[in-house]
Amino acid sequence: MKTINSEHHLDLTKEDEKVYSTLNLGPTHPATHGIFQNVLTMNGETIVSAEQTIGYIHRAFEKIAERRPYYQITTLTDRLNYCSSPLNNIGWHLAVEKLLGVETNKRIDYMRIIVMELARISDHLICNSVIGVDSGALTGFVYLFEEREKIYEIYEELCGARLTTNLGVVGGFDRDFSPIAIQKIRDLMKELPKVLHEFENLLMRNRIFMDRTINVGAISADRALNYGFSGPCLRAAGVDYDVRVQEPYSSYNDFDFSVPIGQNGDTYDRFCVRQTELWESIKLVTNALDNLPEGKFNTEVPAFFMPPKEDVYSKMEPLISHLKW
Amino acid sequence: MEYSILLQELKNKFENSILSVDETADIFTITIAVEAVKEMITFLKEQHNFIFLTDLCGIHYPEEDKELGVIYHLHNLVANKRIRLKTFVTKENPQVESLVSVFSGANWMERETFDFYGIDFVGHPNLIRILNVEYMDYYPMRKEYPLEDATRSDKDDRFFGR
Repeated sequence: MKTINSEHHLDLTKEDEKVYSTLNLGPTHPATHGIFQNVLTMNGETIVSAEQTIGYIHRAFEKIAERRPYYQITTLTDRLNYCSSPLNNIGWHLAVEKLLGVETNKRIDYMRIIVMELARISDHLICNSVIGVDSGALTGFVYLFEEREKIYEIYEELCGARLTTNLGVVGGFDRDFSPIAIQKIRDLMKELPKVLHEFENLLMRNRIFMDRTINVGAISADRALNYGFSGPCLRAAGVDYDVRVQEPYSSYNDFDFSVPIGQNGDTYDRFCVRQTELWESIKLVTNALDNLPEGKFNTEVPAFFMPPKEDVYSKMEPLISHLKW
Repeated sequence: MEYSILLQELKNKFENSILSVDETADIFTITIAVEAVKEMITFLKEQHNFIFLTDLCGIHYPEEDKELGVIYHLHNLVANKRIRLKTFVTKENPQVESLVSVFSGANWMERETFDFYGIDFVGHPNLIRILNVEYMDYYPMRKEYPLEDATRSDKDDRFFGR
């Protein structure tokens, strides 16, 4: 069996006759930032090579999904990224709708944009505040958790759950936005800019933070593409690509928003790209909410639609249609 | 850039390697012979700007002669065109050329496909399991390992602490 440090894959030249030492960085506990171990090959204090272990927490979603009907797979997508479950839920619903050839109306699209952008905000809030923690500033993290909590309250109002939301159904939503939910979103959009400004004041031009993030983990655009980077990390490397603009789904083309681009692809750029995206997301949520069209909140695809109350006791077909999938 | 022009060019260059073409699906899909994989993807990358390997994954169709498959999703970011390549191999000889020298991102994706489907990527610098334990001696995503039937009734739940 090949050991993790076998010379074969470290690809070191033997000419310099140096003796390298091995240092284990990690493994970190799964409850922190995901399990991760770096097996470093060191030449003195210089890292010559590193081999990563990311495994042992595979949850076999693909395998479980083989046996399940479409609507039961939504709960699995919650767990793909628990900081922004609704994004994954809706991504799955969009995929199933594409497969079934279902077209959703504008109201559903706009409602989805509101939910997706809220999820993006909560995800970016965590990501950016945790960068602060990792570089030595705990304050921003604790401060922003209050805003994240408000987003979770909105989820709770929309679907009853907070973290693993299982939000929406194939073809739209299982219920309309309640007046309380809309009020909560509006309140948050009013308060968030103030908090974000404060957070930016805390970190963006902070000498210590800048010293610890600028030119750290930098990657060039070519390399980022070659390694298959996507999302804010790719944009931070300077590639002007946002799937919401290039292939607008869920009526993103109705909205006007800008796509922030980084330059050096380092941690600081990634931080700034995410920070700017937060502002764009606030704009998107506000716009979508202001222009929310009238209409149904569900496309009523029979197989994925709970029958209305009055049909439940009087008709057979609405009750068995979901058995098709 | 139109897919028909691209297809014509691919047909001229890889006459015998294109097994079937599917234009009905959302992404333009070509099934190709396994020998041509690396050459064709390099050609698409260098000549046609498909510079982004969106995904590389395995699949298992137990009812086919060539049971195991590898699916590549390539993306031309400039023209915003996507293309999907499929190739199939037998379970006895699951050798596919590695793409690591073309796309660095293929490294871990190929390790994952090897881990779960047992596809042997020839030329991969470090083809070891990535998510499962090293001493696992089967490939769990293959269809011969089904999940337990949720409706089975021959099991007494008391013995399982449920």
